[in-house]
Amino acid sequence: MRTGIFMAAVLASMLLVSAAHAASDPDSAKLSKSTSDHTKFKALQQEFNSGPEVTKACLSCHTEASKQLHKTEHWKWEYRSPEGQLLGKKNVINNFCTSIRTNEAACNICHIGYGWKDDTFDFTSEVNVDCLVCHDTTGNYKKPAGLAGNVVTKAMEFPPGSGNIIKPIDLKKIAQAVGKTSRDTCGACHFYGGGGDGVKHGDMDSSLASPDQALDVHMDALGLNFACATCHMTEGHQVPGSRYAPTAQDKGDAHVRGKEYTSNPTTCQACHGQAPHKKIAKLNDHTDKVACQACHIPKFARGGVATKMSWDWSTGGKMGPDGKPLIKKDAKGHVIYTAAKGDFILGENVVPDYQWFNGKVGYTLFSDKVEKSDQPTRINHFEGSAGDGKSLIWPVKIMRGKQAFDPVNKRLAVVHTAGNDDTGYWTNFNWEKAVAVGMASIGAPFSGKVDFVTTESTWPITHMVAPAKDALRCHDCHASNGRLEKVPGIYIPGRASDHAGWLDTAGWALAALTLLGVLGHGLGRVIVSKRNK
Amino acid sequence: MTKKLSSLNVLSLCLLACSLVASAAHAADGDWKRGRVYYQKVCTECHTAKAGGPIAPNTRTMADWTKYLNTDKHAKGKEPLKMYVSREYRANIKATNKAAEKYADVPDEQLFNDVKTFMLKGAKDGDSPASCL
Amino acid sequence: MARIYIFKRFERFWHWAQAALIIFMLLTGFEIHGTYALFGWEKAANLHTTAAWTLIGLWLFAIFWHFTTGEWKQYIPTTRNIIAVMKYYSVGIFTDAPHPFRATQLSKHNPLQRLAYLVVKLFINPLIWVSGLLYLYYNDLTASKIAGVAGLKLGSIALVHTAAAFMMLAFLIGHLYLSTTGHTPLAHIKAMISGWEDQDEPARELTGNGAGAPAARAS
Ligand code: HEC
Ligand code: HEM
Repeated sequence: MRTGIFMAAVLASMLLVSAAHAASDPDSAKLSKSTSDHTKFKALQQEFNSGPEVTKACLSCHTEASKQLHKTEHWKWEYRSPEGQLLGKKNVINNFCTSIRTNEAACNICHIGYGWKDDTFDFTSEVNVDCLVCHDTTGNYKKPAGLAGNVVTKAMEFPPGSGNIIKPIDLKKIAQAVGKTSRDTCGACHFYGGGGDGVKHGDMDSSLASPDQALDVHMDALGLNFACATCHMTEGHQVPGSRYAPTAQDKGDAHVRGKEYTSNPTTCQACHGQAPHKKIAKLNDHTDKVACQACHIPKFARGGVATKMSWDWSTGGKMGPDGKPLIKKDAKGHVIYTAAKGDFILGENVVPDYQWFNGKVGYTLFSDKVEKSDQPTRINHFEGSAGDGKSLIWPVKIMRGKQAFDPVNKRLAVVHTAGNDDTGYWTNFNWEKAVAVGMASIGAPFSGKVDFVTTESTWPITHMVAPAKDALRCHDCHASNGRLEKVPGIYIPGRASDHAGWLDTAGWALAALTLLGVLGHGLGRVIVSKRNK
Repeated sequence: MTKKLSSLNVLSLCLLACSLVASAAHAADGDWKRGRVYYQKVCTECHTAKAGGPIAPNTRTMADWTKYLNTDKHAKGKEPLKMYVSREYRANIKATNKAAEKYADVPDEQLFNDVKTFMLKGAKDGDSPASCL
Repeated sequence: MARIYIFKRFERFWHWAQAALIIFMLLTGFEIHGTYALFGWEKAANLHTTAAWTLIGLWLFAIFWHFTTGEWKQYIPTTRNIIAVMKYYSVGIFTDAPHPFRATQLSKHNPLQRLAYLVVKLFINPLIWVSGLLYLYYNDLTASKIAGVAGLKLGSIALVHTAAAFMMLAFLIGHLYLSTTGHTPLAHIKAMISGWEDQDEPARELTGNGAGAPAARAS
């Protein structure tokens, strides 16, 4: 009897609890924003054995999607700059992992497609567009390195013989849960640029997946909670705001509905307009010279993830006492040396460099001559000056490197790094072999000799916008040896190097002489009056 | 009489079992992103301050976590984890904790599910092992 | 011993408010310049701007006052006796000779003072004022499209402003010292506080009317 009553009570409470649950469940209470539930679509109620099978299912409804994506840089990895340089991931060389050429199977896991492993990739294929990498909401979609962007649906050992088992992913479940892009989906590639978390950009790393307000006012997971696309407002899969086509200075007004804009929607001004400082209006007087980011991103790599500041390939190849490739870590456990890659310097909470930037970026490409006497070689550089009327002072990350080049042909080297073959540098540690394969892939001559040049690349700092209270203060720049000490061509009150030296000298001399004069005069009076007494 | 009561017992047990199964199935589908935020902003913040550092989900397997969460003897049995996810606890700390404030009205078990989903997903053998946070 | 009322209430107020403001502006101005840290740059800049507007306000009042009361004529330069005054400060003052000038209500300043104050009022003040305003509205200059102003560089504006500030500093030092040269060191200062100046002899004829001294004053 007693148990009976107890059970009934338990049951009743369970029912009550679940009733309460249903009533306040935000999913049921709130109107769903999507008009479709992908779990209900027949096309998605099947076991998928490969990525392209999923895409085919997607295309059965979203008929134009792949055609739209074929037009994007996300797909082409190629971009022709207004200055005529052929850029894009496919064509540039950088001072991180240097180049995707001959390393496609590893690097191109961040291509929004399936199967780009070499030059034979079919850029017209619709089913090879990867929908899930951007539209996954489960956080479980994975593209393992080495598989040219393909996914794993059955447990497999990779690399073969390594004993490393790649866990399969459940494509059906992931496909049925598709939704809008998010910081997690964009971040799956963009947080890991340069080959690891936070390596490349400094203002983008995994800490932005779920950041707090101090790290990023806009993406603050408990506040505004912006997705990437909130600023990178995308239509027809064309994502604006690429760093290949930067907007250094936006003189337009805040974008409002009902008007058509051709300007970049990702700029600060596209939301905040031209006079965003309401309380301290004097700050608006700075916007003709200083990019918003310069004050509002006081430091980068603030989320606890270190970024690479320097990478010296020339020291690669060392073996440890055990005869295995050497690995060194710093006190915090960050890797600062590997035989495969050489020495790194990492940075957290880094104060940016500041430069005039007018939106033009020049690159040193495969075909450009590189002189060892003229170092550092600028892998890319921002153009601009105080007087060109188009430049603002921008915060940037300067990445310094030392990387392979052919001293005879004077070309930056394309290095075959990744790959389980007998030429990949990461497994063989032989520069000559690795560069020979790399150079052959672009049809460039190779002398057989490898030397190293110091290089520099420049990265805009534009994410990790801090709350207003953490923005720079006046004295950070209005001072000698302040943040803008090295920015030329502009008078900054308080910066001694802007002063006319003669004026300061003459001014203080005038004051000192006057003082001396009156003191002497006064002294005379004192002496005279004493004598007279 | 005895018989009647026992059949009620059986019925109750059956329904109880069913609802448990249902909620277990439901558990796997919590909102992992909300769980992640709560885990970072409430659990980790306290662990950093009072437990000698953050506790990463990928330090244990899914089976370990499931067992841990079911027994719920958090911090050697001092206070159950359910307590730290409860609305009451959230109401207490919401003045200083933005996550507690934002999720003040989420039902207890739903939020517990979210945290659990995140922990299982981030477990050593989970779908997306989560190292830090 | 005679007492004469020289400085009227507004005049005294104006003098001391101006003195305080100018010292304060020098203090904040040279902090903005980067010479030292006192208030903190941000605060210094804000205080300097507030003080600038206050000073401008005060000057406008003073200009108005000078013209409505005719006091402006006090600053009309004269060469009469200027040699005697110069001689006094370089020689006489040490030999206890009498000052060749006696202030009266109609003529408060000796010829040397007249000249010094005129330079301040007609040269340093406008220089600092105009350059300061240009500095303040620098961002609007280009948009103004006013020839000769639109193309001004901040560096040049700051140069003029700083130069004027140095002149002001030199003036201030000299002025402070000269205020102690009355028949007692504090006599002039007391006069500027109370308005009344003690004089041991009645004003002498020779000092009275400089060229254009107000013969027909309203008061
Ligand atoms: C009020 C502070 C506090 C909060 C909030 C808190 N914990 Fe803890 N937690 C502790 C302390 C203290 C320990 C360490 C106990 C020990 O070492 O004896 C601990 C230990 C743990 C452990 C290690 C195993 C154990 O139980 O000793 C896990 C796992 C854990 N907490 C999970 C969580 C999760 C999940 C949450 C959030 C839902 C959470 N904790 C919230 C204080 C807290
Ligand atoms: C006695 C009066 C004044 C003195 C001694 C003085 C002195 C100075 C000095 C030394 C500087 C620093 C210049 C530099 O390094 O670039 C400065 C800056 C400045 N002054 Fe003055 N000034 C005076 C009056 C004024 C007036 C009347 C104005 C406005 C009408 C003004 C406006 C400014 C402005 C705008 C700055 C720049 C501050 C900033 O950048 O925020 N000043 N002043």
